[in-house]
Amino acid sequence: MSSNPYHDKRCQWLMYLVFFAGVGLIPVFIDDAFLLNQFALYGVFGLLAVSISLCWGAGGILNLGQGLMFGLSAYGMAMTMQMQSQDPINNPIPPFMLNNGLDHLPWFWSLFSSTGGGIFLTLAVPTLFCLLFGGLMFSARVSGPFFAIISLALLSAVGTLVLDIQPYTNGANGISPPMPLQIFGAPLDPYSTSMFWVVFVCLCGLTVLAKLITQSKFGQIVHALKNDPERVRFLGYNVALYETLIYTLSGFIAAVAGCCFTLIVQYVSPAQFDVAFSITMVIWAGIGGRLSLLGSIIGALLIQGGQSYLGDSFLNSWMLILGLFFIVVVRFLPRGLAGLIESVLGRLRTPEPAAHEASAALTKSGS
Amino acid sequence: MDYSWVTFANALLLGLSIGSIWLIAALGLTIIYGTAGVINMAHGELIMLGAYSAYCLQTYLGVSYLLCIPLSFVIVALFGLVIERVLIRYLYARPLDTLLATWGVSLVLMQGVRMIFGNDPKYINMPQFLSSNVSFGPLSLSAFRILIIAMTAVLVGAFWYVFYRTHFGIKIRAVTQNKEMAASFGINSQRIYMLTFALGAGLAGLAGSLFAALSIVLPNMGTGYIVQSFLVVVTGGGSLLGSVAAGALTGEIQSVLAYLINDTFARFMLFILIVVFLRFRPQGLFSAGATRR
Repeated sequence: MSSNPYHDKRCQWLMYLVFFAGVGLIPVFIDDAFLLNQFALYGVFGLLAVSISLCWGAGGILNLGQGLMFGLSAYGMAMTMQMQSQDPINNPIPPFMLNNGLDHLPWFWSLFSSTGGGIFLTLAVPTLFCLLFGGLMFSARVSGPFFAIISLALLSAVGTLVLDIQPYTNGANGISPPMPLQIFGAPLDPYSTSMFWVVFVCLCGLTVLAKLITQSKFGQIVHALKNDPERVRFLGYNVALYETLIYTLSGFIAAVAGCCFTLIVQYVSPAQFDVAFSITMVIWAGIGGRLSLLGSIIGALLIQGGQSYLGDSFLNSWMLILGLFFIVVVRFLPRGLAGLIESVLGRLRTPEPAAHEASAALTKSGS
Repeated sequence: MDYSWVTFANALLLGLSIGSIWLIAALGLTIIYGTAGVINMAHGELIMLGAYSAYCLQTYLGVSYLLCIPLSFVIVALFGLVIERVLIRYLYARPLDTLLATWGVSLVLMQGVRMIFGNDPKYINMPQFLSSNVSFGPLSLSAFRILIIAMTAVLVGAFWYVFYRTHFGIKIRAVTQNKEMAASFGINSQRIYMLTFALGAGLAGLAGSLFAALSIVLPNMGTGYIVQSFLVVVTGGGSLLGSVAAGALTGEIQSVLAYLINDTFARFMLFILIVVFLRFRPQGLFSAGATRR
């Protein structure tokens, strides 16, 4: 019906192909270890943007506490890596615990002694938490701004707790495992090409998965309940179940991002639970276009890239620029840069924009 | 630790003080959220602006501290008026977008203040008699905290009067309940929203001028208050009475838990309690009537 190539599924997949092929070519042209590490880190931000886009763009659930899932799994990974460098018999306790006067290994640390179990817990704990918390909240029909505030409050609560239990988490200093993760007997060097590929595979795989999910029947129902939860409920669907599932999936992606984060920077601190960081994720998706997974990734890359490369010269005013830019986007482009592209493409193809917009509104589907 | 009744009573008294601080921080937010449904994430930064305007008035113009408090109200209210006219008024139909846009505003305000005043803390001098301790038998509290409790009581009284006993208050409540119906009775809802936003901003400024003397003045001091204020508003349900009850309750719970365990853990427990509470009563303690979210 619509002639806008933005809504054409083949065009969308073509863009995915172009984007991921482009990203995949990075290690061919760049062999600077530091730059590769940076790009891998951007991949983590991309993953977080996908998780926000899935939750907020597709499901309409604004989650200001995504840093909770990210931080929990980042800590889990750091614990796994730290335990790898401890000798289970002679030296089972990480040095910072001894410095904080702890003379035995806490039970929840000993669970991370085996690498496989550690990685499993790292991903499972945040995901199960999402399932439980989301289930509780959505079955009480907490939604919209209320959910946003509660998720923010919970993030802030856990952040202060992690900061406070210094003997177990090393407080504000954070955990810096002495060695990279040893997996299948070999170290995963954060500055290597293989690290880049790990992140690339996660980003590519999860983005494609998210895209397929938004296009499935499940995704269509989620899309419908974003627009009118009451009507979907009257049609006999269990709205809370769908909301919980999309929220959990988004939490899982954030947890994967948290894992990769610790692998790349070999360090984790309560800054990962910072409220401002979680809201920055929302800003990426907001500016890039929350309705588009790819748009959100590009938003994250633009903003974080801008912060790294422009931030040095505008260090003092960067937050000012970002804030102003975000205000302008929210005020004039509520669907972000992807929405801008959508309407530009629509204008190019159709001579009568008014007639086109009406049909576009009818056939609009999340991309 | 000594768990005698005197220390426990002191914890209760401190809880009253904490509750009054949270309530005074949340009062402006309650009015803005309760009336217009705007989630004002810049509220913490408006508090910070109030603190800085008190600092500027005192340092550069030599205004006495007690006079700084009402002047901060006026300055930040005018500021809020500008924000409302330039940005917020276009977003009333999109509550989630007000949240995002005001977060942008808060970034701009925080960074703007940081560029002007730098990152080092500023201090405010209070009059001698406010820095003394007042004791009631075995209980004691600083005079300044008593001033905050009194100030909160006065403001709540004033707002109850404005909202429930004046013509202006009737208009505000009419617009809150049903904007279209109020408009058909000749009430200019845009004007009401504008005034309530300015009023709420002014209250944040007033709270800021008080907090400036309670602790140090920093560009990021607002972020500490924003989550707390929102919890008071959400727990209360968005009405004035709800916020008063929620402020007192959360303040006491925080203080008693802090007395029994420690400060940070108390805060964590309080958050968890609020989340559980909202699971069973998402509309809050007292919701403000007919068409609430």
